[in-house]
Amino acid sequence: MTPAGPPADPGRAADDVVIRLEHLTRLYRVGDSEVRAVDDVTFDVRRGEFVALMGPSGSGKSTLLNLLGCLDTPTSGTYRLEGEPVQGLTEDRLAHVRQRRIGFVFQAYHLVARMTAARNVELPMLFASVPPAVRRERVARALAAVGLTHRAHHRPDQLSGGERQRVAIARATVNAPAILLADEPTGNLDTHAGAEIVALLERLHREGLTIVLVTHDPSLGGHAGRLLRMRDGRILAKDGPGTGGAA
Amino acid sequence: MRTADLLALATESLRLHRLRTTLTVTGIAIGVTAVLLLTTLGEAAKRYVVQEFASIGTNLVIVVPGRTETTGFPGATGGTVRNLTIADAAAIARQAPAVRLVAPMSAGTASFEYAGRSRDIRVLGTTAEYAAVRNVAMRLGSFLPPGDPERGAPAAVIGSTVQREVFGNENPLGRQVRIGRWRFRVIGVMEESGQSFGLNTDDAAMVPVATCLRMFDQPTLFRVAVQVRDAALMPEALGQIRDVLLRRHDNEEDFTLITQDAMLATFKAVIDALTAALAGIAAVSLAVAGIGIMNVMLVSVSERTGEIGLLKALGARRRQILRLFLTEALLLAGGGALAGIVAGLAIVFAGAATWPDLPLRPSPTWLAVVSVLALGAGLLFGLMPARRAARLPAAEALRGHA
Repeated sequence: MTPAGPPADPGRAADDVVIRLEHLTRLYRVGDSEVRAVDDVTFDVRRGEFVALMGPSGSGKSTLLNLLGCLDTPTSGTYRLEGEPVQGLTEDRLAHVRQRRIGFVFQAYHLVARMTAARNVELPMLFASVPPAVRRERVARALAAVGLTHRAHHRPDQLSGGERQRVAIARATVNAPAILLADEPTGNLDTHAGAEIVALLERLHREGLTIVLVTHDPSLGGHAGRLLRMRDGRILAKDGPGTGGAA
Repeated sequence: MRTADLLALATESLRLHRLRTTLTVTGIAIGVTAVLLLTTLGEAAKRYVVQEFASIGTNLVIVVPGRTETTGFPGATGGTVRNLTIADAAAIARQAPAVRLVAPMSAGTASFEYAGRSRDIRVLGTTAEYAAVRNVAMRLGSFLPPGDPERGAPAAVIGSTVQREVFGNENPLGRQVRIGRWRFRVIGVMEESGQSFGLNTDDAAMVPVATCLRMFDQPTLFRVAVQVRDAALMPEALGQIRDVLLRRHDNEEDFTLITQDAMLATFKAVIDALTAALAGIAAVSLAVAGIGIMNVMLVSVSERTGEIGLLKALGARRRQILRLFLTEALLLAGGGALAGIVAGLAIVFAGAATWPDLPLRPSPTWLAVVSVLALGAGLLFGLMPARRAARLPAAEALRGHA
């Protein structure tokens, strides 16, 4: 993997870069006016980093997260995921990228209500045509990793908020993604459950998972190795409390 | 995606809304049952007609006086019509080698009187050959004796209804009866044969043709029934009969030859047209049920917008989403087809048990057609909602609206 463009941070080894954004811009048309939701954003995320993206609502952090998650395509600029340019890929190629390389965790969990915890965790593997025997094994492992083996056959409405988010994290990591994208993962949780989720994310990070987290909770941002502040679609400060952030 | 997983996912979401699913399936089932019943009825009617035609004899040609423009049905006459005579019938028997038997026929209505009882019946004049041509079975005695068709003996063969109504338990053989102003002696009773061809021979008496013509003062035969030696000789026989009659009628084609096949074909065509029309009407209910599927699927897609966004975020491709929703639509249609076929077959078998005379039998062809129609409706009406689901933009769908 040799990045073609100039590295944003020349000091780091190129093949260690999971995400490389260069002049990434996303425009929306609202009536006659143009909104620059993401405006000329350039940064790298290296393998094993824990990055927090913070900013007030409307600062463009959710749009940026959608771009990182290949749910949206940039108006201009480039995005390389593990060295491979993903801007301009077809819908199906993007779906494939999401399936293999990206795990999502949402504020509202987005569990399918009619399915058990195990079935929810299994869901991404169904679309990847993973054989049932392999699925069972991976579901068991993912649920064990979030400490919910005993809740495998419960439906979301039988689980607490914290448990639901842990199921969602198990689902996001079951396909062994390159990055985990978390959008306000503690936003719907009380302090105690929120702390549990933060501890779980930190543990996954220590085990080598690359995490990009969107939040406006400073205490949550403080756990990240690196803090990126956003305002009006731009990155304000590149380095936060931690330095480097690699495990 | 694996087919088993696809089916499991689709089934899970259909099970969530049991009532909605049941109602939609019922709609399809009603359409399927309707198509199935009406086509089965049509097929049964056709089979019944074929049976009836087979029972009146084989390899038959009917000669009717008068010219009809359309073949296949005795209809209105046109042009100058010469009498069709007993001599014509005899000439056909003598001069057409492909012909096995010829039975001249005349008909009238008269009162049948015996021992103070009287009954208006149909009187048919014919010859001994008629019994062989039309497969007449005898219950008692014998049919009209062979002999010169131009000479009539005062002998009558009666139908089963006449026997029952006029004679009761009395043996009619050898009894002197009066038909119209003429005296006859009963020499035989025919087996019950039912209505065939608009001619109920159960409530009729058969007398020698020459006698019948004199009784009703008729100059012409009503028709001549001809049995051809072999089905393969049919075209030849038709040519020979035509030649014989043209020769005798100064080259005027004032008669019409109707084959059993042509009549049967006409009946079949009429029944087929009726069946198709009824099946078409029933198919409308299937289309309505299909719209029901579309409605349910559209509701489902809009209810599950967030779920669709999630599936996309988890890496589901457009095609996989499309297939997932199409599978749901097809399961609804397939379930409806299955339920409809089961209900339809149950009704058909119940009907067949209740009316043994009606040859009600489910036709594999129509079972296949109706299954294809139902699944086709599912596919057709499921496609639009499924495409809508597949095209939802992932990010907007995740937020629960699109």
